[in-house]
Amino acid sequence: MSTFSIIGKRIPKPDAIPKATGQIIYGHDVKVPRMLYGKILRSPLPHARILHIDTSRAERLSGVKAVITAKDLPPRRFGYGRDRTPLKGDKVRRCGDEVAAVAAIDEDIAEEALELIRVEYDPLPAVFDPQAALRPDAPLIHEDRESNLFRHQEYVHGEPDRALEEADVVVEDEFDLGYVQPAPLETSFCLAAFDASGKLTVWSTTQIPFLLQKDLSEALGIPGRDIRVIQTAIGGSFGRGLDMYSFEPICVWLARKAGRPVRLAFTRQEEFAVSEARQSMRIWARAGAMRDGRLWVREAKVLLDNGAYVSWGTVTTLVLMETIGSLYRVPHARVVYDSVYTNNPITGAVRGFGNPQGTFVVEVQMDRLAEAIGMDPLEFRLRNANRPFEETPQGIKITTCGLTECLEEAARRIGWSEKRAAPSRRGAIARGVGIAATMNVGGGARIYRSDGCGCIVKVDDFGRVTVLTGATEIGQGSDVVVVQIVAEELGIRPEEITIVNDDTAVTPWDVGVHASRTTFIAGNAALRAARQVKAQILETAEELLGASAAELELRDGYVRIREAPEQRIPFDKVVRARHFRQGGQVIIGHGWYDPHNEMLGPDGKGNISATYGFGAQAVEVEVDVETGKVRPLRVVSAHDVGRAINPMYVEGQIEGGTVMGLGYALSEHLQVHEGRVLNLTPFDYRMPTIMDAPPIETVIIETDDPEGPFGAKGVGEMGTNPTAAAVANAIYNAIGVRINSLPITPEKVLRALKERGS
Amino acid sequence: MRFFEYYAPKTLDEAIQLLVRHGEGAYPLAGGTDLVTKARYGHLRPRVIVNLKRIPGLNDIAPEEDGGLRLGALVTLAEIARSLLMGERYPLLAQTARKMGSVLIRNLATVGGNLCNAAPSADMAPPLIALGAEAVIVGPRGERRVRLEKFFHGPGQTELRHGELLTAIRLPPPRPRTRGVYLKHIYRQAMDIAIVGVAVLLQFDEQEAIAEDARIVLGAVAPTPLRVPEAESVLIGAPLTEDRRLEAARRAARAARPIDDTYSSAWYRREMVGVLTRRALEHLVSHSPER
Ligand SMILES: Cc1cc2nc3c(=O)[nH]c(=O)nc-3n(C[C@H](O)[C@H](O)[C@H](O)COP(=O)(O)OP(=O)(O)OC[C@H]3O[C@@H](n4cnc5c(N)ncnc54)[C@H](O)[C@@H]3O)c2cc1C
Repeated sequence: MSTFSIIGKRIPKPDAIPKATGQIIYGHDVKVPRMLYGKILRSPLPHARILHIDTSRAERLSGVKAVITAKDLPPRRFGYGRDRTPLKGDKVRRCGDEVAAVAAIDEDIAEEALELIRVEYDPLPAVFDPQAALRPDAPLIHEDRESNLFRHQEYVHGEPDRALEEADVVVEDEFDLGYVQPAPLETSFCLAAFDASGKLTVWSTTQIPFLLQKDLSEALGIPGRDIRVIQTAIGGSFGRGLDMYSFEPICVWLARKAGRPVRLAFTRQEEFAVSEARQSMRIWARAGAMRDGRLWVREAKVLLDNGAYVSWGTVTTLVLMETIGSLYRVPHARVVYDSVYTNNPITGAVRGFGNPQGTFVVEVQMDRLAEAIGMDPLEFRLRNANRPFEETPQGIKITTCGLTECLEEAARRIGWSEKRAAPSRRGAIARGVGIAATMNVGGGARIYRSDGCGCIVKVDDFGRVTVLTGATEIGQGSDVVVVQIVAEELGIRPEEITIVNDDTAVTPWDVGVHASRTTFIAGNAALRAARQVKAQILETAEELLGASAAELELRDGYVRIREAPEQRIPFDKVVRARHFRQGGQVIIGHGWYDPHNEMLGPDGKGNISATYGFGAQAVEVEVDVETGKVRPLRVVSAHDVGRAINPMYVEGQIEGGTVMGLGYALSEHLQVHEGRVLNLTPFDYRMPTIMDAPPIETVIIETDDPEGPFGAKGVGEMGTNPTAAAVANAIYNAIGVRINSLPITPEKVLRALKERGS
Repeated sequence: MRFFEYYAPKTLDEAIQLLVRHGEGAYPLAGGTDLVTKARYGHLRPRVIVNLKRIPGLNDIAPEEDGGLRLGALVTLAEIARSLLMGERYPLLAQTARKMGSVLIRNLATVGGNLCNAAPSADMAPPLIALGAEAVIVGPRGERRVRLEKFFHGPGQTELRHGELLTAIRLPPPRPRTRGVYLKHIYRQAMDIAIVGVAVLLQFDEQEAIAEDARIVLGAVAPTPLRVPEAESVLIGAPLTEDRRLEAARRAARAARPIDDTYSSAWYRREMVGVLTRRALEHLVSHSPER
């Protein structure tokens, strides 16, 4: 039985009711005195030289307070590839590139002003196909580069060439994985204001408040120490907030030029047209196995379309590499990738970060291999599942690992053994089941030189505890999880803790919320800070209770003697006793946690995370063979999360992630034609609605990770990773047709059925 | 959304005069689920908006002396879905309304707005045409009536001339032994525009063996809702065998003039016309569950 009092409790989110009743203050709600509204003029062309920009008429429009073009900005570049300026002066490289911006007293005037700006373009030949972009005669998108290739990388372990010869069976596929959008409900937003001394405050929905200070500083030449980032309540993010984008420095510069605060918020259409999408990838892959059921080799060639500029999203290939190299025990593997510039929309970070793509390839081919050797796909997976405390050839040091349990549990609950063997068919309706697993970083991911987070815990005179953490709350529940960890350690109720997590001027540094890292990293930082507080409390209580610290415990709001619990003093009284005396001291603890993980070497090897999360999803689908329509009937999602600090949020992450995965699998698709996004509304984009979400049964497997706070590992992205593969495998089980391009629309299914001639 | 003038007249005359006075750029407003969305997205820029919701008499569902029904243009989809009178006399319409938008949208959206917006995919049009509905139009020169079949001229274009308003839909008395169904093909389970819509209405003979009359109307596969007489004729006067139903479905698919767009390819739309028409007929003939 658990000895915890707070860990494992389903404590509701404090912002749930304010969100449901519309009382929460999102970025879009924030207004400050004298605030202006900013708008951006965007390029209608995918590739063109800018010959001339005339802003004079816009400047004369009454109500316009600032108009800026590239000429107004310091000549600085920003972004992961240092390949863009906030406003483009010489040429545009994608539809939607930022050319000029205005700030006006209201949005209508700002919009009208945009229409008064005249831009003369000289269209250039554009390239939209990443393969074509690599040809020597392709139009060069960035003139200071030799080609449109941004990065080529090769990863190898074992001897893949030999292994492909040795393998008893080899399967080969081409995958075409389309663009999807993170599409949070709240569109991109920024509000910038300078105070009288020239210091800048930015209200933002970013996931990286501290790196945003640095990025803004680099893009604009404003010292980072003069930039304060305040995070508003964030209306969803899903990875979008992992980079700084052009609109943020533009908003700041408008505020500087106008001498007034400026707010800039995207319209929904802008959000679809220019905010960063999940990388579309073309992947050619082979995998081999031995007849006895050993997975033997995997090889993948990946073509990643960055779009016109690279963002952190280009790093998704590292994650994909890790999935292909280490999900299941595979003795030989090779991944080769080219990440390429095109005149397409920019791509960026989206939940899963390369893992949904990699998992799709691995898990579809796992099914194909099992079929080729005549083995049940579940059995094949179990034989090759990663094991606890095993290092993969890639240098990934797996510690706790519940993959086997996840696979078994997901399969059992979906009714695998009865259903898989006999997919049913009634009239036009066929049913089938599929399964797919996932491995995801669960103990941070060292993609920056630091993977750290800071935390301060202080206690006031009444025993109220304040936790200052760098960890960002984007709806996932880190605001409660961190509190639960501190409450457990200090033996107090979560209601007695206030969390502050939204202001770089107040909270300690953190690298950002990404890589499912917050519970693990920020949780460990909070635990360290809480332990210092605990030590201080115990030190004072020793005197008051006349017992040594080792004999004392903090529980239920008291410090008490473990063996004689009736001898106790209230928590707050101990705090006051420490304050109100000669030579008194304040109670405050601080913690910094940076895990012992490694950045990947140039060979793509290394232990990128301090621990790894595992999961398996089983899906039952119904396919209408006359319309091609696929309906997921039920999903079972089993995950090894180390320990569920708050099971409700673990379930929430898994359910939300799964629905996002279902969108990726079946309906969501950002349609891009010649660099232009065609579907610009939620209507046209087809995110799943609640009516499309099937019952999702979540299973939490606890493996008590030695490094995690109270044994916890990350779970934020895992739900999304395996869904598309599980659905594709279930469709195959139902109708015997393989669709290797996402999303699997009714039309693709029907075409495939007709081609097969059924 | 840009600045516009807003009026909320209390009489029909006043509304018509406002529209006439302000000319192009003046739009009547009903539920606003199409109009406001289009204005937000910049697809149209109203200079003047004339709200019709304060005008009495436009949102009733009223029985008429001949046994028919007068459906006010401002009746919402939610009202159609839950009206007992509708459910009793024209269950096809109540059923169609339930397949549109979401609860929130249905509470706002009106039947008149759906028709006047004249999207090729408008769900109310095929079943209303199948039922033989008539549009009641009032304008500066008084009232006129047009068969709904003739109301649509193209995407976003209708019989209405500037200053004219659709005030009601007139439904002829329900005919005996008549059953209808509207099948709407969408990718998601809700909130989708029809990829294809098929309304089928059959009037059976006393023995329920032969159809005395048949109507097949397609949505989203031509610039306007498309009635398919050549498919209807196969079904009338002879037993509704599987062969006949298949033939009708084939003819409907052939008659469709679909386009490729972001929702679907023309190929897929045509395929779906065939499947949905066949399924609608199966459902009506054999009472098989609707899919
Ligand atoms: C999320 C969402 C989901 C939707 N789902 C569906 C769906 O499933 N099926 C479907 O068919 N549609 C759907 N729609 C479209 C829309 O809701 C319907 O077409 C609706 O019936 C329009 O009615 P309204 O009262 O809102 O029209 P409005 O937006 O008020 O008006 C539409 C147009 O008609 C004109 N107009 C309105 N009333 C009159 C009148 N009496 N006389 C003359 N002109 C008039 C207006 O000027 C305007 O041009 C959806 C829309 C949204 C936003």
